[in-house]
Amino acid sequence: MRKLAEKILSMDRRAIYLLMASAALLPFLTGPLGLPSRVSPEVKAVYDRIESLPEGSPFLISMDFDPASKPELYPMAEALVRHAFRKNLRVIGMNLWVTGSGMAEKILSDVAEEYGKKYGRDYVYLGWAPGATNVILGLGQDIYKTYPRDYYGNETSGMPVLEGVRTLKDIPFMVDLAAGDPGIETWVVYGKAKSMAGGCTAVIAPGMYAFLNSGQLVGLIGGMRGAAEYEALLKEMGKATVGMDIQSTTHVLILGLILLSNFAFFATRRRR
Amino acid sequence: MFLRQYVPMAIAFVMGVVFAVQYYVPHPASEELLTTVNDWLIVVSGFSMVLGLASLMGSHWAKVRRGVPGWGYSLVVFLGILGTLAVGIASKGKMFAGEGLTLTALGWVYDNMLVPLQGTVFSLLAFFMASATFRTFRARNLEAGLLLTAAFLVMLGHVPLGEYIWDKVLGFLPPKADQVMGWIMNVPNMAAKRGILLGVGLGMIATSLKIIFGIERAYMGEGE
Amino acid sequence: MTIFLLMWPLLAFGLELPLLSASDLPGDDGKAVLLLWPRMPYEASEVFYVVQGAEGPEGPFEEIARFPSNSHYRTERRAPFWTWRKGKDEHFFVVRTIGGRPLESGREYYFRLGVDLGEGPSFGPAVSAIPKPNWFDFKKLNNLIFMVLLAGVVLWFIGRARKKELFLRRIPGLDAIEEAIGRATEMGRPIYYLTGRLGMSSVSTIAATIILRDIAKRTAGYDAQLKVPHTDPVVMAVCREVVKGAYLEAGRPDAYNEEINFYVTDDQFSYTMAVDGMMVRERPAAVFLMGYYYAESLLLAEVGASVGAIQIAGTDAEHQLPFFVTACDYTLIGEELYAASAYLSKEPALIGTLRAQDVGKAFLTAFLVLGAIASTIGVWAGIEHKIDYFLDILRDFS
Repeated sequence: MRKLAEKILSMDRRAIYLLMASAALLPFLTGPLGLPSRVSPEVKAVYDRIESLPEGSPFLISMDFDPASKPELYPMAEALVRHAFRKNLRVIGMNLWVTGSGMAEKILSDVAEEYGKKYGRDYVYLGWAPGATNVILGLGQDIYKTYPRDYYGNETSGMPVLEGVRTLKDIPFMVDLAAGDPGIETWVVYGKAKSMAGGCTAVIAPGMYAFLNSGQLVGLIGGMRGAAEYEALLKEMGKATVGMDIQSTTHVLILGLILLSNFAFFATRRRR
Repeated sequence: MFLRQYVPMAIAFVMGVVFAVQYYVPHPASEELLTTVNDWLIVVSGFSMVLGLASLMGSHWAKVRRGVPGWGYSLVVFLGILGTLAVGIASKGKMFAGEGLTLTALGWVYDNMLVPLQGTVFSLLAFFMASATFRTFRARNLEAGLLLTAAFLVMLGHVPLGEYIWDKVLGFLPPKADQVMGWIMNVPNMAAKRGILLGVGLGMIATSLKIIFGIERAYMGEGE
Repeated sequence: MTIFLLMWPLLAFGLELPLLSASDLPGDDGKAVLLLWPRMPYEASEVFYVVQGAEGPEGPFEEIARFPSNSHYRTERRAPFWTWRKGKDEHFFVVRTIGGRPLESGREYYFRLGVDLGEGPSFGPAVSAIPKPNWFDFKKLNNLIFMVLLAGVVLWFIGRARKKELFLRRIPGLDAIEEAIGRATEMGRPIYYLTGRLGMSSVSTIAATIILRDIAKRTAGYDAQLKVPHTDPVVMAVCREVVKGAYLEAGRPDAYNEEINFYVTDDQFSYTMAVDGMMVRERPAAVFLMGYYYAESLLLAEVGASVGAIQIAGTDAEHQLPFFVTACDYTLIGEELYAASAYLSKEPALIGTLRAQDVGKAFLTAFLVLGAIASTIGVWAGIEHKIDYFLDILRDFS
């Protein structure tokens, strides 16, 4: 028993990596687990806020993440843009991370095509501009000075989708999807949006609860679970819902490994 | 001595005081000043990129020239830098051509190289997390036991399968797994974070005051 | 029907319209106007106030806002008591745009207030105001006073530390630096020092460069090999000066090499993989992870642990602390990173600032407790509006 416990404690980390890979691949072999995620109040708050916006309201979504955070934030962005188009809101897309431009553009154009939305009338992609803090400050003063042209080089002034929008204060609600800095904290400090919600990777989500509790954020979508909850609210099974199955199996494996290592630890300790 | 020590200290003092005061001044001139100085920072960063690139190219070229083991990887660095630069210039910095449906060469490099590479590296985190938790989450003492228990409960409440297991094994208890997780994240975790953030905030103020008043000069290097 | 019953005296005898006043909104950038008017006896949720604005005295007047008459009281505005009298005897409205066009500083605008009983609004006479930019935002006065007080406390303790030795508690992570460098020297393996993801504008990066100076001095003295891979060229330039100065101070200018500090890339995961690769190949004996980190924290720390390095981390990124605590031998939590310069150098001026931080923390804790007690008493006794005077002193109104 003691020898077994010691072998477990000195397990090669490559064996652990193999177990993790197997756990991650398991849902692909067994099919969807079909377990629903309970919707948390902070995710519901974002959903309710978008639901409360009148048709035709401008809605700003800043997609501040790079390909590394794609698994968590891409489904989140897709779900939010889908919801916005479903509500016939005027979607204004932008990003503060240059490496996220391609993904942000793809999200908007793919979902817009699904809903038959027209560029320039129903949505616009402003793209990336340098100096995150400056961009946010600039949006607080004049959107057209900060973004005289959109991502494709079209002049922004006179665009039907931006009618009545001059500064952040003219946008009733915005969501920032962030994987780090610049991100939610930058928008909270420098932005002057009327009302704002955040979406972020699971690892930085706990730090954003301070803004949620103080009322600076209306709601918060944290990680892939948050994205899956939002998809559940939209009654659509997207990438996040599928991803939660993989998270489920890998989480349970890690829990099993923790129990195993503690069992082995106490078994060897008792002998000492 | 004057240029290397006193001039930087004077600049740090003047800029520190000006921007501390700037926060309290709502006049547009104040915001203009902030925007202008942020622009200067971007310009300085741009020039400093040249410095960084020169350092990078220099060290890799030295490896290629000397033929040290692994010099081939240094060649890959050069190919990567020059190749992406050429592709980016040819595509005029755009990922998509036309109405956004056709990938440009830069878009192809982004979609087929950068995105999978970054995703792969980020996914390593899952494996490293598993090995780190196996190695260190052992109840050696009270604090380690508390950390382990909290982590266990949070992980259980975070995923649907965990909630299912909780309902089957501990379903008789009033709180559900996600409620326990929510309580741990919103109460003790939040309290600890706020405590750390308070200390960090004060530390930042004190460090900034030290730099503004010239008490802390280590960052200037020579000339102590 | 309800409105008719409530309003019939007004309809019969004529509606008394509230007297509107307009003025520049104090403490702003000159792009807003403050409208005030008294509470009227006929206010109800079915009766609406309509605010209109124009760029000339004759109009055309455009509708700016319409809201129930039992809203927008002075009490509802978020402003401290020393700049704003709270109460329910007056209404307020802040105008920033007319017809979607923002107000311009120095230009005269005209406003009028209407009352709508359901038959269309009746408007009172127009009043005018010129928005002007202000040089001081009095809402932040409490913030300024606290900042000046804290700066005063810092300077006082610096003076005191020069006369009397102040106690500093042990920070195990900093005590272990000597052990780590000694280990690297004995094993003949390099020391890796990482300064985090952020640039020189981040206080944690500044703190990391300060610790680097001490470590570089010791590695120069021990003749150990130091490597500092960078993700920001400005930080690299600063660290080059810091390390050069440290080697000079240690009397080992011959041992200094420009390549100690080298640039890798600014991309997060490319940098991480490059450094991980170097760690796996060169197997450093000691790894220092100081500064602000994101997701790469565990990727770096776990690889460092796998090659058998002694690891000392220090960060104010509270979301990465669990990973460092798990994977590293010692972790400097939050402000311990900022305390490092004082701890390592033992300079009175620096130790004095640490004591000032402690005093600041004591005050903050006291205010937290007092504020919590005051809020609770306010709710229990129904005197929240009185307690607000005290809580306003502690609030942030930015």
